[in-house]
Amino acid sequence: MVYSILEHPADLGIEARGRSLREAFEEAAVALTSIIVDIDSVSVKVDRDLTVDAGDIESLLVRWLSELLYLYDGEGFLCKEATVRQFSPTRLDATIRGEPLSEGKHRMRTDVKAVTYHQLLVREDENGGYVRVYLDI
Amino acid sequence: MPKFQKIDDYRYLVPKTYRSGMLIDGLIYANEALIQQIEKDLTFDQVANVATLPGLLGRSLAMPDAHQGYGFAIGGVAAADLENGVVSAGGVGFDINCGVRLLASGLNVDDVRPKLETLLNQLFRDIPCGTGRSGLVDLSFSELDRVLNEGVQWSVEKGYATPADVDHIEEGGCLKNADASKVSHHAKKRGKDQLGTLGSGNHFVEVERVAEIFDEPVAKTFGLWMNQVVVLIHTGSRGLGHQVCTDYLEVMQEGMRKYGISIVDRQLACVPIRSQEGQDYLKAMGAAANFAFTNRQLITHWTRKAFERILSHGDLRIVYDVAHNIAKVEEHSIDGKTKKVLVHRKGATRAFPRLRPELPGDYFDVGQPVFIPGSMGTCSYVLVGTEKAMEETFGSTCHGAGRAKSRHAAKKEVTAEQLIRDLKERGILVKGASKSGLTEENPNAYKDVSEVVDVVHNAGISRKVAKLIPVGVIKG
Repeated sequence: MVYSILEHPADLGIEARGRSLREAFEEAAVALTSIIVDIDSVSVKVDRDLTVDAGDIESLLVRWLSELLYLYDGEGFLCKEATVRQFSPTRLDATIRGEPLSEGKHRMRTDVKAVTYHQLLVREDENGGYVRVYLDI
Repeated sequence: MPKFQKIDDYRYLVPKTYRSGMLIDGLIYANEALIQQIEKDLTFDQVANVATLPGLLGRSLAMPDAHQGYGFAIGGVAAADLENGVVSAGGVGFDINCGVRLLASGLNVDDVRPKLETLLNQLFRDIPCGTGRSGLVDLSFSELDRVLNEGVQWSVEKGYATPADVDHIEEGGCLKNADASKVSHHAKKRGKDQLGTLGSGNHFVEVERVAEIFDEPVAKTFGLWMNQVVVLIHTGSRGLGHQVCTDYLEVMQEGMRKYGISIVDRQLACVPIRSQEGQDYLKAMGAAANFAFTNRQLITHWTRKAFERILSHGDLRIVYDVAHNIAKVEEHSIDGKTKKVLVHRKGATRAFPRLRPELPGDYFDVGQPVFIPGSMGTCSYVLVGTEKAMEETFGSTCHGAGRAKSRHAAKKEVTAEQLIRDLKERGILVKGASKSGLTEENPNAYKDVSEVVDVVHNAGISRKVAKLIPVGVIKG
């Protein structure tokens, strides 16, 4: 599994690969956290389960990352690892692990406003899964 | 065949032949140098994509600060027929009612300089800024609903605003159609402890001096004079507005299936204005806009307190407050007939001329003030709206310098320490919540704001009134 950060004139994107699409989704979650905070400063202390539904696979990716962004910005939870347990094009069940945001401990980087559909790509072939998504910063 | 036609020195037409499906022409305001920059990214395509949306009137417009955005270009303006047009959440953007407010002091810059550093430290302490910072007020959900429904009126009751403040904010600081019940719990959770916070990215509080006056009578009416100290505040609706847009983009994805609308870019998702989904969005957007007006109001309050404490002068008057990411129902003359339209402004500012009923009494005879922030450490402008803007741009003009380089490229150019030193040598003190935040916003990452402003001035869609130069900057 691997992820990288993409350039956009005003904002940033995430590119994530895995042996399967499920793994690429997991990796994209970690990439999102790494934009918000120095991920090395985040520990695994708490598990949370979540379910995301959507009309299609592209929307599923946007909603998955939007939900993680909400957990950070709305509930102060930083996700360091994600395991997608059940995966279909319109629904996923996941367990995420991380810890509550602590102003003194975590080295913050950038606020992310939202996850966009701009040049969104979700692909799976014999080489594995690949996703690309841009974020509004 | 060229993808655009030069109409004159400041106008470039994107004809319907640019791409299939365009229902109206596009028009980009720019000069030769700016159009070359604009051509480098997806702005042209995005102006053309917007022109495919159903029920738009006039042209799909882009201002000279335009650059590639999501769905709509940043700097885009599109007006939809209220009867059969659509509303697009992407046409407003994630930072609903991101905007600019100008405060005027009675102080000369020479009176402030000796205490500038102390003043900046105080502002930096009192105004929460940067990633992950909570606000000083943690609202209950019922209190938050009041902010969403009442806007700045709530601040008057709580002692954060005066009645005179309310008159000098676009829409009186409250979009009347706002309805907190259309805002999701997720959005409220994100906004609950963020009221009165600056955020990060390009948001700032700047202490400036009036460095040049182009139009003496209008400047006088706005209460501006040479070497006066003024404060410019740039921020929006924070996580609450971002979540409202995220939520309604999903509602609109489903709405498009329901109403049989097909579009070329999912980020342009839209629904009929008259539909339940369209009306719900506008009510939620209004609520987020009210949150943003109140956000700038609380920052105003703490700025006044800091001025009072350090300079014994807390009497900062609001010159005006403008929104540059918003959709508004307005009356415009189209083909000689007055029509109600929904104007989407995505990185564009309303610029109404004199004699419009929306203006506060003291500006009724001159027109609406418009504020165009430049990049950090350069300069900003005060403009005034014109008749020409009503004729050509649905009463709109530009909103800033416009980004020219990516954050990564900007960061590589300069270190935070060097940037702070360079600006200090030019008489500008900077305090930032993060080093990378500062370098990403380094002035070289932006277009030249003076060039952008010259285009809108020369094209006649707004007029230069005054130029502001920063002396102190607080960055998120």
